Amino acid sequence: MWSSVRQRTLSLSSEIIYQWKSGIHRSFCSSLINANGKVAELLNLQEVEKILRDVRADDVRVIPVVKQSEFASFVVVATGKSQWHVRNIAQALIYKVKQKQTGAKRMLLPSVEGQEGGNWIVIDSGSLIVHALDEKARAYYNLEQLWTSKESTNEHSQDLGQAFVKVRRKNNSKKPAK
Amino acid sequence: MIQPQTHLNVADNSGARELMCIRIIGASNRRYAHIGDVIVAVIKDAVPNMPLERSEVVRAVIVRTCKELKRDNGMIIRYDDNAAVVIDQEGNPKGTRVFGAIARELRQFNFTKIVSLAPEVL
Repeated sequence: MWSSVRQRTLSLSSEIIYQWKSGIHRSFCSSLINANGKVAELLNLQEVEKILRDVRADDVRVIPVVKQSEFASFVVVATGKSQWHVRNIAQALIYKVKQKQTGAKRMLLPSVEGQEGGNWIVIDSGSLIVHALDEKARAYYNLEQLWTSKESTNEHSQDLGQAFVKVRRKNNSKKPAK
Repeated sequence: MIQPQTHLNVADNSGARELMCIRIIGASNRRYAHIGDVIVAVIKDAVPNMPLERSEVVRAVIVRTCKELKRDNGMIIRYDDNAAVVIDQEGNPKGTRVFGAIARELRQFNFTKIVSLAPEVL
């Protein structure tokens, strides 16, 4: 079920990265996915932000992760007050996806993980990953710090790539002919 | 190819250091577990002063295997060690960080939590 969605995101990812390099604003970027893709994106950033505002999720943070990982472009982290609240956040997002596809022959749903627990629910809709956590779990896993500090490690690997660039060494063994 | 009695390294900061597989979860008479499978394991070695202790029985997800993992596009991934991440019954990882490279197949097996904690996804 997921392969088709993933295929599409893969084909689009190069364009997205190109746009990010040229420094275009993120809202423009997500609207372009809608315009290009035949099937509209399962969830886009504005919708997610609106839903999270409507269900009163606390402390919503959107982290663009295009630079650090190739499997997603945005990570959204939100906090719920209780397990019920966290589950309701997830339900609201899934409901929105279903509502968008009413009348479709085959409904595409995002993969949801951890729904029975309610401490940490992940809704993975391809290029956008939404984490809904309760307060304890959010403090414990500290996802923002992980994702925001990753940038530096990536730059380091770029340096490493430059180090491997072939440079022709000067041949000192031959003495200049006199 | 993980089977009962296989020793695995632990790829997270949960406090366990070494696991031994005692059961593969899935079918009743399954022989081997591969990347993305859940196993029942016993902790053979643990870091002192951590919540997990030696000889405790836990669940774990296999994240790296010495046996090659083949993809449809012909790519083959093989790691140097067998490694697993300790999880609880609901699938939440016990540790807060995952170490080392991890295959993106884990995301398809619904372990997005582990993938999002990992530093590198292959």
